[in-house]
Amino acid sequence: MSTAREPQPAAPRTSSGPGRALVAVYGLFALAATARGVTQLVTQYAEAPLAYVLSLVAGIVYIVATVTLARGTATSRRVALVAVSVELVGVLTVGTLSLVDPEAFPRATVWSAYGSGYGFVPLVLPVLGLLWLRRTRPQPTSALDTSAPDSSPSSSSE
Amino acid sequence: MIAALAYSVCALALVSMGWGLVTAVLDKPPGKAQLLYAAGLEVVVLVQSVIALVRLGAGFRPVELATTIGYLVGIVVLLPVAWFWANSERTRFSGVVLAVAAAAVAAMTFRLLVLWVAR
Repeated sequence: MSTAREPQPAAPRTSSGPGRALVAVYGLFALAATARGVTQLVTQYAEAPLAYVLSLVAGIVYIVATVTLARGTATSRRVALVAVSVELVGVLTVGTLSLVDPEAFPRATVWSAYGSGYGFVPLVLPVLGLLWLRRTRPQPTSALDTSAPDSSPSSSSE
Repeated sequence: MIAALAYSVCALALVSMGWGLVTAVLDKPPGKAQLLYAAGLEVVVLVQSVIALVRLGAGFRPVELATTIGYLVGIVVLLPVAWFWANSERTRFSGVVLAVAAAAVAAMTFRLLVLWVAR
């Protein structure tokens, strides 16, 4: 941590300000999805193994995102970017599959139908997460304009 | 679960949620009364979970036993964690944090009520 590049006072930490609320929502979904996955796997694994394993995977992704966003170090930012990206791909993939091929998902997961069972928060959350990570990224030297387009191709969120 | 108690918890939680959003809009950290209110809500939530768990212990079996137990236990930790998280950096967003937890308490209580049907 200390060997990383200079601390940048301009960009807020991922756990600060609006990040506080974001981490709270992530924490809530970490609890909800993990508890749901564990309960379902323990009590009724045979009914829909794929859906239940996915619930648990989603829960773990939320846990990783919660912890890394709350820490906000250079390393944890990178892990958070991966977790939130996986989350976005997951909700889009599972959401689409659950509508196209409902038989693959006889039981709902947090990501089924793009998270409609949770007020579509699972669909909005990764988008907010990526925007927040972009907003809080360390600025090389003193960039005053925070809304300038990213010159490096490393973090395209599309 | 007692229906009247559950609806009271929902109502109290929605007030807490609204309060959190109001202070966030007003750009203020949560005040003392607001934090005390959240603590009071937690007490009522605890009472509700204890009553329900005692009834489960006495032999009542709802449709989804495991889910019900998970909710009864999980709902108790939300407000304390949110309280700590909201107070460790006191800004307008502390109110949003409390609002998120309160909304979850209301939603979970309502879900518990729906699940509380004898098998």
